[in-house]
Amino acid sequence: MTKRLFNRCLCCLLFLSFNAASKEYLIVLKDHLFYPSQITIPANKKVKLLIENQDSTPEEFDSFDLNREKVLYPNRKSIIYIGPLSKGYYEFFGEFSPNTARGVVIVGDEEAKHANN
Amino acid sequence: MLITSLVMSLNQLLPVAILLVLLQVVRKQSALKIGSALLIGALMSFLYMQSASWVSQWFEHQGLEYSQIGLCITIFIAVLVFAIKQKSAAFYIAVISTITLYLSHYIIYLTSFWQSNDAGQSLFIGTLLGVGICLSFSVLLYFLMNAIKHRFGMYPLFTLLAFNSTAKLLVALDLASQIDLITNTATVWDLRDVLSENSELGRVLRALVGYEATPDLMSVLIYSTSSVIFLSLCYVISASISKERV
Repeated sequence: MTKRLFNRCLCCLLFLSFNAASKEYLIVLKDHLFYPSQITIPANKKVKLLIENQDSTPEEFDSFDLNREKVLYPNRKSIIYIGPLSKGYYEFFGEFSPNTARGVVIVGDEEAKHANN
Repeated sequence: MLITSLVMSLNQLLPVAILLVLLQVVRKQSALKIGSALLIGALMSFLYMQSASWVSQWFEHQGLEYSQIGLCITIFIAVLVFAIKQKSAAFYIAVISTITLYLSHYIIYLTSFWQSNDAGQSLFIGTLLGVGICLSFSVLLYFLMNAIKHRFGMYPLFTLLAFNSTAKLLVALDLASQIDLITNTATVWDLRDVLSENSELGRVLRALVGYEATPDLMSVLIYSTSSVIFLSLCYVISASISKERV
């Protein structure tokens, strides 16, 4: 009986650990612009941003709203984890080119949005 | 480019200037010590900047964060040791680590855009204005903190120093959650509409006491606990040193 319970718990833990893997979003920086400049992520979930700088100059990913700051080296990929976040708008920008490199993370009900589309 | 250079220079130089002023008010250091600390710090940040592109690819693109977390913790410990023991070694470590942490970002910015068309003049003027504002702010802060020290003693100074150095632990905490070393907890309050971190006052408060408009629970706990520990150690050890002297 105890052994069966232990096995079930182990299965549950394995299931949860696979489910816990963070969803990945790719953002490309090109000509001092972020593509896409707007990403929608689910509320209360941690996600992984894979940011690829395709420019020949470095950039600094900065966000006061997300409390994130990372230098993006030319032709390199960088990883930033964000969340879990409550619903709302969270702006980010390139600190070296703040007038052009701007974007926003929209935290909402992503599944519902996709269903509506 | 001019405004960006000004904002960048303020963001990166103000934390260094504030820490230097606070340490100087705690115990005045000679011009030689300050000069050598600044020079070694500039050299270290240049070396760090040169290796940053390579370091950034370590530990699955997380090498920079690990090195920056190390620097933040080093600053906190060095400032605490300096506040208690007032040793020159602690002063050197705190200043050099802070310069390495902040100035390297600005060197990356300067070296990347110096070659761009018409950017040189804007970069130069922006940097000059930023350095000027930092110097003016530092002089005012120095005289203000000295006046407070003479009027009320060391404790207000220790309190500001505790908040300032604990703010570096918040930076380390943000970096740790950025690379998934720890998980973000729930946001305690959202003051973005009241005082944005992006505003002038928000930036100054961020450099001075580590103001965050949207802190999470872990940040608030670490900030308050570390500040209390910092202040308790300052009070207890300073009191025991005074007793020994008597």
